[in-house]
Amino acid sequence: MTLMAAVDASVKVAGLQDLTIHRSVSSIPFAGRYRLIDFALSNLVNAEVNSVGIFASQPFGSLIDHIGVGKSWDLDRRKEGLFFLPTAHQNGGIATVGSFRDFEDNIQFFEKSRQAHVVVTSSFVAGQLDYKEMLAHHLASGNDITEAVGAGGSLKSYILSRKLILELIHSYREKRILSIEDLVNLKKAPYTYGIYEYKGYFAIIDSIEQYFKESLGLLDENNRKLLFLPQEPIYTKVKDEPPTRYLDGSNVSNSMMANGSTILGNVKNSIISRAVTIGINASLDSCIIMQKCTIEENCELAYVVADKDVYIEQGVKLIGTADRPIVLRKGERVTKEDAQ
Amino acid sequence: MKEKVVAMLLAGGQGSRLKSLTYDIAKPAIPYGGKYRIIDFPLSNCTNSGITTVGVLTQYQPHALHRYIGLGTPWDLDRHKGGVTMLPPYAEIDGIKWYAGTASAIYQNINYLTSCEPDYVLILSGDHIYKMDYEKLVEYHKEKQADVTVSVLEVPWEEASRFGIVNTDDAMNIVEFDEKPEKPKSNLASMGVYVFDWKKLEHYLEEDNSNEQSSHDFGKDILPKMLAEQKKMVAYPFKGYWKDVGTVDSLWEANMDLLDPSEGLVLHDPAWRIYSSNPQLPPQVITDSGRVQGSMVNEGCVISGTVNHSVIFQNVLIEQDAIVEDSVVMSGTSIGRGAHLSRVIVPPDVTVPENYQLLEPAAGITLLTQDLIDSWKESGQQ
Repeated sequence: MTLMAAVDASVKVAGLQDLTIHRSVSSIPFAGRYRLIDFALSNLVNAEVNSVGIFASQPFGSLIDHIGVGKSWDLDRRKEGLFFLPTAHQNGGIATVGSFRDFEDNIQFFEKSRQAHVVVTSSFVAGQLDYKEMLAHHLASGNDITEAVGAGGSLKSYILSRKLILELIHSYREKRILSIEDLVNLKKAPYTYGIYEYKGYFAIIDSIEQYFKESLGLLDENNRKLLFLPQEPIYTKVKDEPPTRYLDGSNVSNSMMANGSTILGNVKNSIISRAVTIGINASLDSCIIMQKCTIEENCELAYVVADKDVYIEQGVKLIGTADRPIVLRKGERVTKEDAQ
Repeated sequence: MKEKVVAMLLAGGQGSRLKSLTYDIAKPAIPYGGKYRIIDFPLSNCTNSGITTVGVLTQYQPHALHRYIGLGTPWDLDRHKGGVTMLPPYAEIDGIKWYAGTASAIYQNINYLTSCEPDYVLILSGDHIYKMDYEKLVEYHKEKQADVTVSVLEVPWEEASRFGIVNTDDAMNIVEFDEKPEKPKSNLASMGVYVFDWKKLEHYLEEDNSNEQSSHDFGKDILPKMLAEQKKMVAYPFKGYWKDVGTVDSLWEANMDLLDPSEGLVLHDPAWRIYSSNPQLPPQVITDSGRVQGSMVNEGCVISGTVNHSVIFQNVLIEQDAIVEDSVVMSGTSIGRGAHLSRVIVPPDVTVPENYQLLEPAAGITLLTQDLIDSWKESGQQ
């Protein structure tokens, strides 16, 4: 393999603010037990890309905690492996993927590599992109830059030569371009641009509405079967949670449930993360509950996104809509009085 | 400096009464509790007790165990100093020496122990399910200034004759060992967990090895010998859940115990995690038609049928209209539409056909086998 990867974990996505107060977009929990960056990292390692730089900016505590030395992705290598590359700037990350200024801060990552090509990718797209196939397509096309496209939209993954990315990092100021995404959108001369069409499942998480829709979309068996391929696993940081307990009197249907939870109440059309407690007679419909949340007895929740460690006291009723789900921020505690 | 404790985990047992479950794997490797193997419990106890040097003695069908434990990473036992060491029998100049008994297994690894330079040696069994703070046990051993401390458990009097019973005085000094007594004088059963002063242990192991009459067993030879020589032996009263799963029925019971929040072992305790090798699987899904009650379900499962009072391991597929009740379904199994399983242990990677039912439900617990499924198919009942 001659491919190295630059994962942009510092890109700013305006529509996800409630979920990104304490973390970058890349470490937003998704699908019950994953963080968004898991999909990009897993796609890369499944394509045998073993030199992966993660370009991060503040706040990246949550991301570091999640990634560690990259063991879960088999990226804890003596040669190459995972490089955590925070930007030197106070304000890293821009609104488009692949900021040259962030790359410039860690230019040695590109200079020292022995790989011939680079994939630059975002960390807010969940899918099963095959980078081996994409590279083959890129090489066959003879284009300078290839962009992955799904259903007509950009998947924010780009392949180019290492030589070209170094040239761009050295000249982005005079060329007046900000990022790889920016360059591809502007189609600046003299480079040639091609696309690689990806036909599998993907979810682009760039707003709360998208987050909500794509999360619940995983309850569709067809989507699940396309995202969770036994031969192309999605890796994540492992936790030693016991299996989930469903107590007598609970009622769960059409839901995705991570380990370590204790369910006494009613759950339907929902995604429940690890180590969640749902009390007796509580009812959840179309909710996304992240890890370590507690929903006490007799609560009624519909169209709610609860970030980590949210505590909802008994009897609280919160009803959002599919277009406007109610978002509870990390660590929030909701009482009956608050909810009224 | 803190005194050093080295744990020696006996994991060579076959567990023949567990039938086909242990044809290919040793008893400590048996799956339990929806995601664990039995050996996860003593290993996690070591980790949680701050014991970081662990020798694992294997003999019967060791491959699955060696592969499973690997470098010991899931238990944080991949250490520069100490960590986990797998200790199968080995050959030397005098020939190959199989482990004849629990004591000879330790004796034959005396070089390993010497190189660890322990102050105390903890002898553990790899096939018991329990949560125990070994640090407290070692503290007790030191306080009592004992030569050996035996961890004991109160068992119901009517069952005492099934155990190795320890008789003590009021100060918990051991006065007698009574192996499976007809008329027990006490209901304190030995758990097969011992702490020795290393120098004492070394001495008695060497002595035992040169004794041709000995069966080289801790319970039968070493401990009675030490008692006869009036060594200071005390019993440590352990309180809590403890299970030796020797049979299909007791393995089933131990799993069912987990479903009773008041009875069984609490696995949902962040302060005393049971560590295990975690496969990378997506969350479980309960579909529209799925119904799960009073059960535990692990990752990777898709439940479209009815699951009642059961333990479901990872990657199990239960199709619509299938009913699983009072059962243990191990990983990678699929249960076809309309199948009905009750009081069954389903081993890993079995395909239970549509509409399958046990032909003659046994009074006890049935361990499902491919033979049972094949004879059902031949009976033309589908």
